[in-house]
Amino acid sequence: MLRVEGLSVSYGAVQALNDVSLEVPPGRVTAVIGANGAGKSTLMRSLAGLVKPQGGRVLFEDEDITGRKPEDVARMGIALVPEGRSTIPDLTVEENLKLGGMWRSHTQRGTSLTRVYSLFPVLSERRSLGADTLSGGERQQLAIGRALMCGPQVLLLDEPSLGLAPLIVTQILELVSQMAKDSGMAVLLVEQNAATALRVARTGIVLNLGQIVKSGPAQDIANDEELRHAYLGY
Amino acid sequence: MTNFIDYFLGGVSTGAIIALMALALVLVWRSTRVVNFAQLGQAMITTFIALTVRDATGSWLLALVAAMASGLIVGVIVYFLVIRPVKRLDTSGAIIATFGVLIALQALAGMIWGGDQKAFPPPISNSGYEVFGRTWPFSPYDLLVVVLLLVLVLTMTVVFTRTSVGLAMRASAFNPEVARLSGVRVNRMLILGWAIAGLVGAIAGVLVAPLSTLSPTSFDIFLVFAFTAAVIGGLDSLVGAVAFGIGTGLVISLVSGYTDSGNAPVVALVLLVLNLLFKPEGVFSHHKARAV
Repeated sequence: MLRVEGLSVSYGAVQALNDVSLEVPPGRVTAVIGANGAGKSTLMRSLAGLVKPQGGRVLFEDEDITGRKPEDVARMGIALVPEGRSTIPDLTVEENLKLGGMWRSHTQRGTSLTRVYSLFPVLSERRSLGADTLSGGERQQLAIGRALMCGPQVLLLDEPSLGLAPLIVTQILELVSQMAKDSGMAVLLVEQNAATALRVARTGIVLNLGQIVKSGPAQDIANDEELRHAYLGY
Repeated sequence: MTNFIDYFLGGVSTGAIIALMALALVLVWRSTRVVNFAQLGQAMITTFIALTVRDATGSWLLALVAAMASGLIVGVIVYFLVIRPVKRLDTSGAIIATFGVLIALQALAGMIWGGDQKAFPPPISNSGYEVFGRTWPFSPYDLLVVVLLLVLVLTMTVVFTRTSVGLAMRASAFNPEVARLSGVRVNRMLILGWAIAGLVGAIAGVLVAPLSTLSPTSFDIFLVFAFTAAVIGGLDSLVGAVAFGIGTGLVISLVSGYTDSGNAPVVALVLLVLNLLFKPEGVFSHHKARAV
């Protein structure tokens, strides 16, 4: 569904991504893991159009979308949940959700809102409260909910575990994985927390210093002790 | 005591107009994080256009409509011609550039309409109501000004809080990246912000002209008051702009009444300095702190 071919990104003299190629198939979770500074967020940001790559291509359903603007990428059906503060605290919970997918028809948005509220009941309870009143886990649910409001075919999750309790992370990721299975949505998950990510993912990709050092079935990567020691630090 | 009531009433419509001007500054700040010092220069130009239309047709309403339409257009032109190219290079450069636009607009107005003070007659009586056997410094025209402010603020509140465009504009102001990732065309929202600010400023210009006179520089003093109100309100708060706009109008009316009208800008400056010393983020700001 989403294919990356030879993607290279540099910030000035620093090469953040070097000739990265990968595939994100529908209906399952693909996890990109690696230490801090491996280029994971750069990868996500260039897929979403926030960073312009110097080389390589991003293909969505065989259409070249390299270098498109983020708002156009979102409208095509690729939704990024960026790392950290990706909800708007000054808006209410429902306004944060309604922000997603504003270009879609009234009916489509209504359906998506109902679906998000049934996936994340806590958001429904808090819909008219300010997003600043939510806990970290609730805020992450809200950020994912906003992305789902865009009706995405590809969901990009950047480090959703950041600052959250392990139990909550597992719950959220299992929900996302189930959603991918049910709806055929492609999910690309980027995580520093490799163990958790590999548990929900089908395919694992290890990124180190901007290059892919290994990719294969998530189970194999989780069991590869040498790889874990060398790149994942556990 | 009657003095106090007189000065207070005399400040209400001025306050309402300052509130509108402060609103225009806030709208621009929210969309592009630039303080538009040319805002009242734009308003001056559109008020001259309104005066020309009024002289040609005799209709105040048509003049107001002409001001609003040209306000929208001038706002967009200033954004595209000056702010966008300069801001790409440097944000503080864009703020300085708005001063340049102000001076250019004043020169332009001088060339077209001349530098003399021109009268802009009010559409309805500007002599105070007579109640309890005395004349109060509050006229039917003052009432019109206050009513128009209320209508405008109410309309904007509804647009900003109840419509998709309003939500998109607020989101673009608070967090442009998340807005873009949600599919909002943030650039269009910026242009819309400048357009609406131009419209609000244009209304303020047409309303203030009958209270004094109109010349290329006659709005300069209002820039001081509107800027003070907008900054004390927090620069990004519409509520703050309205509250402190009216407040500033009342304060300068009281100061002018009890002392001398020449003291009003000094008092505004003192208020601004006190605000920056003790509450630099502004009273109604969404942000915790602002670099000064």
